[in-house]
Amino acid sequence: MEEKPAEKKPANRKMLYAVVAVIVVAIIVIGAAAVILTAPPKKYQIELWFNSSGHYGDTENNLATVLKNSIESCGKVQVTLKSEIWANYRQDRNQGKLPFFLLGWYPDYSDTDDYVAPFLASSGSPSFGSFYSNASVDQWVLQEQSSTSATVRADAFTKLQNQLAKDVPYIPLFSGYSETAYVSGMKNVTLHPIMFKLFIISKPNSAEFNMSTTDSITSLDPALAYDYFSIELVNQIFDTLVTYEPVTSKLMPSLATSVPTVGNGISADGKNYTYVLKPGLKFSDGSALNATVVKRSMDRTIRINDAGGAAFLLWDTGALGRDQNNGNNTPVGAIEVAPDDLTITFHLQRPIAFFNDIIAFSVSSIVPWNYDQSKAQTDAVGSVVGSGPYRLTGYVPNQQFVLQKNSLYNTPTLYQSFGIPAIPVAAKVTINRRDSSTALAQDLKVTPKLADIVYRTLTPEDLATLQTQKATLGLTVDIATSPFIRYLVFNVKPNNPVAITDVRVRQAIAYSVDRAVIDRDVFASNVEPLYSLVPPGFSFSSSYSQPVFQTQYGDARCASANAIWNQLGFAASFASRELMARADRSLAIATETGIST
Amino acid sequence: MAIGRSLLAYAITRAALAVPMLLILLTAVFFVLRVLPGDPVLALWGGREPPPDVVEAARVQLGLDKPPILQYVDYMSRFFRGDFGLSIGVTYVGRPVIGEIMNRLPATVELSIGAMFVATTVGLLTGVVGGARRDTKLDVAIRLYGTIIWVIPIFWLGILFQIVFAIWLGWFPPHGRWQGTDYPRTVTGMYTVDSLLEGNLDHFATAVRHLVLPWLTLGLVLGGFFTKTVRANMIRTMMADYTEATRARGVPGRQVVTRHAFKNALVPVITVLGLQFAILFAGAVLTEKTFSIDGIGLLLLQSVDSKDMTMIQGVIVIYATIIVVISLVIDILGAVIDPRIRL
Repeated sequence: MEEKPAEKKPANRKMLYAVVAVIVVAIIVIGAAAVILTAPPKKYQIELWFNSSGHYGDTENNLATVLKNSIESCGKVQVTLKSEIWANYRQDRNQGKLPFFLLGWYPDYSDTDDYVAPFLASSGSPSFGSFYSNASVDQWVLQEQSSTSATVRADAFTKLQNQLAKDVPYIPLFSGYSETAYVSGMKNVTLHPIMFKLFIISKPNSAEFNMSTTDSITSLDPALAYDYFSIELVNQIFDTLVTYEPVTSKLMPSLATSVPTVGNGISADGKNYTYVLKPGLKFSDGSALNATVVKRSMDRTIRINDAGGAAFLLWDTGALGRDQNNGNNTPVGAIEVAPDDLTITFHLQRPIAFFNDIIAFSVSSIVPWNYDQSKAQTDAVGSVVGSGPYRLTGYVPNQQFVLQKNSLYNTPTLYQSFGIPAIPVAAKVTINRRDSSTALAQDLKVTPKLADIVYRTLTPEDLATLQTQKATLGLTVDIATSPFIRYLVFNVKPNNPVAITDVRVRQAIAYSVDRAVIDRDVFASNVEPLYSLVPPGFSFSSSYSQPVFQTQYGDARCASANAIWNQLGFAASFASRELMARADRSLAIATETGIST
Repeated sequence: MAIGRSLLAYAITRAALAVPMLLILLTAVFFVLRVLPGDPVLALWGGREPPPDVVEAARVQLGLDKPPILQYVDYMSRFFRGDFGLSIGVTYVGRPVIGEIMNRLPATVELSIGAMFVATTVGLLTGVVGGARRDTKLDVAIRLYGTIIWVIPIFWLGILFQIVFAIWLGWFPPHGRWQGTDYPRTVTGMYTVDSLLEGNLDHFATAVRHLVLPWLTLGLVLGGFFTKTVRANMIRTMMADYTEATRARGVPGRQVVTRHAFKNALVPVITVLGLQFAILFAGAVLTEKTFSIDGIGLLLLQSVDSKDMTMIQGVIVIYATIIVVISLVIDILGAVIDPRIRL
């Protein structure tokens, strides 16, 4: 007889199903939680552009990479680096095609205005690619430009810098540096903020010295010279009505008897500047230099108005004007020679507080009566004639410049009160051009040395090497803050598809930037972090500069940045939130206790 | 006489073909430069942007306001009159292109000729020895040398030479073409030649001392190619029937190599010599940069950055002309050596 199989117990089966169901549900819940908690957060995408062809030196790639890393380190932004050669970069920038990019600025004249107006005024910002426009800002720019009152200007500059920090069309990064290395014992090697004065330098027991540089020139005609080294050489060969003291950027008279001030050369409305020339002035060829020659020289520069030149600083920025009906010279009566041939008055179309600084710039250098009146003077020995401390006596294009003492120099005692009895100090300077920083360093390493001094531009690596070896090589290495500044630009043009018009995005990125890392990793600790477009380290700007980005954004403050990103819908993951909060707490404690520098 | 006429016809044909080739190249470069993005006018000013009317005035002044086709017609009409136009880039704006090129061309030519001499001398010697002594230790060493020297970056070898021979040993100047202010009187622009023309041996020695390291750097790297090519051809000719037959006739080994195998091994080497000149000019750019020699290679690099279109066109035309002329000479030389080429 067949046995009936035993029935399974329904209760046990149900229990088994329940356990399995619980386990499955638990696995799903844990898995989902793990996915949610560990999922990479949605990131804000942004392109950071930089110049790839060395316009700002060999460090640009590293700088862009460090910036990318510091912005991405907060966890909420994905930065894509893009680069172009300079011609393309300029074009795309002006056409508003770049959303976020690196730029640099070297001022044309030593006034705080040159760090503010071109960047923030509606008329100037398109040329920086930011397209920033704010009616109040335009008004404040006009105030600081047209007033000679330090109080009025300070008030305007304060408002401008505060608005800059609020709207963030630019993020100041750092002040550049200038560097020189020279044979120990050379005297008066000064890294002047405006010009490198070769005519005050001397080498012990020698009437001459050799310098090497990587810089080249575009022209030695002051009407055209608008690049660093052309301007440097123009400043050695030509003279201006007013110039700078040997160490600071304070103005002092040169061809003129005094620097005009309000009530003593500057009219009360700030529109008329009168300069009185010293009597008996001469150019190095013996021809006369008087007020009529000064007027002719200024008109020549404005009339030629050459491509790439700086003439517009006189007729546009300097408000002298350019009149087509007057042969493209200044308008009739704009420059007046009266009552005698030693007195010249510039009648400006609007008040310009910094006109003296424009007159000290190389574009205002005075050229002789017989200079070519329709085009650039040829760069050749005998053709280049100025009234500065040196004459050009040797020129091998792209290789060598030889400067020798101008025996007819008008003001050899210019710096007597500064302990320099007569200039030029050295009778002869030979400048050799090299094509790389390595070559500059080699000029100081070989025996015998091929240069007594090297100036511009040593890479951070070569500079560090020379600093390490300076005792062995018998060198002195000087580094000083330069008026050159570097900054990031946001395109804020309305209705532009690539523009970053949401100010919160710009503010969040301003929180993320880490200037200390840039200084350490890219520039071997040689640059100064910058927290305003106005650098603090110069006599013309120190009283106006305010570190608005330091007080408002600081460096690498990811918690603050991420609070904004959260508002914008880029919520941080649990893990990254925790890490960022801890990092920010640590930074705050370190700052408060003075551990952080 | 028949052979002479045939060679002449061959040379004339090759020369006639070179002219349209240059014109096509120039036309292509002209339009490609204008199609590519980048505004040379804006690049004229460093940081500050002048007022818009200044920028537009500069555009008119430089002739860039006209349609490209009119610019082309204008450029070509001046080109045929020997006028390469004016520079439109930031560094040389307004200066005649041909003047800037001619200022620098002698430096590049002086560098290139010396480097090619080093390359061919070292390459031929090592290649012949390696090929003639196939699979010996010496051959293995030469093969290794040929490979390594060919792949070494020029700037790296240059810096190495500078450190060893200029800084450590002080035998040669580290860079530049001249030291001091007493330059040779300019006739050709090549300091070695100008020194000899003025009969000043001290000047000649100074010029040569400045060129030794650049010549060795560029020449040795290029010579790696010759080492390998000559060696391979030597092996081929050493195994050829006619070489075997020569040996069988009892001709001594050295004569077999120098009079028979080597001559025949040279034919393909001469053919690639023209191509090597193109590589030589590319290498010259790096050598010029490393040794601060202001040649047309550096001029081209600077011009590309500022999109100095007239200067780029000028330099490329000069490069192309030199290479075409050298290729023409080598083709004719090849046709003289091997009449089959003319067929």
